[in-house]
Amino acid sequence: MTPEEAVMTQESDASMPDVAQSGVSGPGVSESGAVVDGMTSPGPRIDVSGAAMGHTRADTQTVFRCDDIHVYYTDFLALRDVSLDIAAHEVTAFIGPSGCGKTTFLRCFNRMNDLIEGARVEGSINYHGVELYQDEVDPVEVRRRVGMVFQKPNPFPKSIYDNIAYGPRLAGAKRSELDDIVERSLTRAALWDEVRDRLKTSAYGLSGGQQQRLCIARAIAVQPDVVLMDEPCSALDPIATGRIEELIAELKTEYTILIVTHNMQQAARISDMTAFFSVQANEMGQRTGELVEYAPTSLIFTNPEDPRTEAYITGRVG
Amino acid sequence: MTEEVRTEFHQLMDEVRADLVQMGGMVAEGISAVTAALLAGDIGGADQIITADDELDLLSIETEEKCVRLLALQQPVAVDLRTILTDLRMISEIERSGDLVTNIAKAVARLHGVELEPRVRGLIDRMRQQAVKLTAMAMDAYAEQDAGLASVLNDMDDVLDDLHNEYIVSVFASHELGKISIQHAVQLAVVGRFYERIGDHAVNVAERVEFLVTGELPEHLGANRARARREQDEM
Repeated sequence: MTPEEAVMTQESDASMPDVAQSGVSGPGVSESGAVVDGMTSPGPRIDVSGAAMGHTRADTQTVFRCDDIHVYYTDFLALRDVSLDIAAHEVTAFIGPSGCGKTTFLRCFNRMNDLIEGARVEGSINYHGVELYQDEVDPVEVRRRVGMVFQKPNPFPKSIYDNIAYGPRLAGAKRSELDDIVERSLTRAALWDEVRDRLKTSAYGLSGGQQQRLCIARAIAVQPDVVLMDEPCSALDPIATGRIEELIAELKTEYTILIVTHNMQQAARISDMTAFFSVQANEMGQRTGELVEYAPTSLIFTNPEDPRTEAYITGRVG
Repeated sequence: MTEEVRTEFHQLMDEVRADLVQMGGMVAEGISAVTAALLAGDIGGADQIITADDELDLLSIETEEKCVRLLALQQPVAVDLRTILTDLRMISEIERSGDLVTNIAKAVARLHGVELEPRVRGLIDRMRQQAVKLTAMAMDAYAEQDAGLASVLNDMDDVLDDLHNEYIVSVFASHELGKISIQHAVQLAVVGRFYERIGDHAVNVAERVEFLVTGELPEHLGANRARARREQDEM
């Protein structure tokens, strides 16, 4: 099982932890809870809500500031020395060949790597002024603010309604509020019209593209600040992909979106900023990912600065 | 380690480049041929040149179709995108230069029997030389993707512009001396203008080559003035 699958299994096997165990409580978070959960936690001691609320458009606002990030899997250095800032209400795409560390990097932003045995993140990720990797930060609360959508749609084996209501219920949302949350989330995810008449039916009855939009609706039902997407369209046909891309463009008015994609044209179409990662093998044959170039997407795809970026996006390097 | 993973795409791009270099060569040869016909009053030769322009038109359409196919099917980015955009612009520039050669060829019949003064003949030949040189240099800069070479074209074009001015003065001096009619003087002046325009198209090609290599669009004085005005208005 790859680490990626391990995380996905952990997530979908979360098997609905008790509300009491979820550890989602405290100032400013009572209205919602973590979707990506499954771990008990000591409860938040540091408030990571920061500037997360309000969702006002401010071009210069930095959501994440990453400095000298290194990620290890036990002794193996998977990603080396990444420093970059993520701006609010932008779509930031991570591209690069297999093994370049882009998914590993994405998982740093909601401490998903904590769930992988032996994974270790060094360096600093500052989230709205809070150091994400300090012991006092509750990873569950982080994952509520920084939601995630996976490569393969992974709805819970429940009704469409309960998939969306799950997170808010955990967080103690009142029964009377749930209908509104479900409708609002499904509407934001451009799925409401297609499912409004069958909310109580199983989510497994939806098409792949619908399931993925359901997962996006589920991620935003807890009102996150950031949505991470790990190749969200790779299992979808072009029409479903187009719908998700439209959705991403709409969602960025409210959320900050980080997306890993193998599809460079998708990165070109939907992102504001692109980070290109590459992979380098040492003399031992160990392959470590690194950030090559981080720039506005329009620049990356018309006139990239680094010859390695140019070679990769024009297909001159295997 | 560089490995090519889009072989067919890049082969088609190479084909387009070869087409363009061939088109540039056809224009350069055309300039020399039409000048020879003009100076010799060779109407038959001029007619052949007019016919030959059809080949250039056909090649330019075929090349443009290849570019459209590349854009539609291959989603070019970065240097590939800049190359194809450059190619499309260059097709028009070269095709237009070919039309100017044709225009000179058409003037041969209109100037038939006109005795040209040695000074005028000499200036026509020197304009030919410069127009060929600029066209060939622009195409070399493109083929070699040499932004440095491309960047000198604009200054070099001043030589052709000066020759053109000198030529116009000579043509009308010739008319004032009663050697040629006003109709023929105007006809000759227009011919000079065609050479001068061929030089401008070569400069345009060179500017596009600079964009291809550097990603910078050519800076124009006028555009800069307009930008400054726009910024002032916004303040």
